[in-house]
Amino acid sequence: MMPQKSRDPWSRLTAAAREVRDERDTTAPYGFATRVAALAMAQESRISSVFDRFALRALGVASLLALGSVALNYNAVSMPPAASAVASVEQLELAVPTDDAVAIVLDFAD
Amino acid sequence: MPDDDVLPFDLAGCLDRVRQRDQQAARELVDHLYPLVIRIVRSHLPRRVQEEDLAQEVFLKMFTRLAQYQGAVPFPHWVSRIAVTTCIDHLRAQKRRPEFRWADLSETEAEVLDAVMTNTNDVPANDAMAAHELVHKLLGELKPDDQLVIRLLDLEQKTIAEIAELTGWNQSLIKVRAFRARRKLQKLFQELQRKERS
Repeated sequence: MMPQKSRDPWSRLTAAAREVRDERDTTAPYGFATRVAALAMAQESRISSVFDRFALRALGVASLLALGSVALNYNAVSMPPAASAVASVEQLELAVPTDDAVAIVLDFAD
Repeated sequence: MPDDDVLPFDLAGCLDRVRQRDQQAARELVDHLYPLVIRIVRSHLPRRVQEEDLAQEVFLKMFTRLAQYQGAVPFPHWVSRIAVTTCIDHLRAQKRRPEFRWADLSETEAEVLDAVMTNTNDVPANDAMAAHELVHKLLGELKPDDQLVIRLLDLEQKTIAEIAELTGWNQSLIKVRAFRARRKLQKLFQELQRKERS
């Protein structure tokens, strides 16, 4: 190789370092693949089992909440549709503000 | 002469089987990719970390993220990226190396360093191993990210585009890191020269 005098010390050092070939074996050590594959599969099943457990728990909690809300609002749910419509009109009438001058005049007119 | 009896590795088929949780396929995949992963791990191995432990970590990450692999890049490239980023994480986590001193060098390393600083000739071939060791010691003085860029550029002679693909960093950032690292190395050589004279 011809010496290249223009290069800086770092370039000459790295050029020499590149000449060193890594002759070490690159095949997996005995048992490495088995261990890694087993760990990977165990890791996956652990993740999925945690997910399953949480998913089932979430389903149970959601069901309880749904049942609870039905029980709390049983009157509204059990009321027939016509009755519930009347009830809602009454509620609307109650909701009309009494300090509205136009509404008071219209009430007198009735 | 190639061995005609050896069938090419069916990577796509193997990946499908791994997705169906076939442990034998997972073993075959690890065996197939081990040379690629261990080469990366060996060239960026942080101090006090066992190469086998780091390789195992790379493979476990590969299996965990397998569902995210969409096939946009060849699978070995995708695994290389995991290996490089895992090495960077370890390099970042390691404590800073103490200041570089002449006293820490072997006799041959000191001679090689003295030679490259005082004359302009190439390092003789029989000093290549000492130069290799020296380069690794000097690289240890750089920040982990700069160290990785210089290693890939100057030792593995990768292009900026290849480094961008491997690390996920943009090309401008890589150029900035390379510039910063070379300047730091230059300063280091100047300091060493000054110390040698004094």
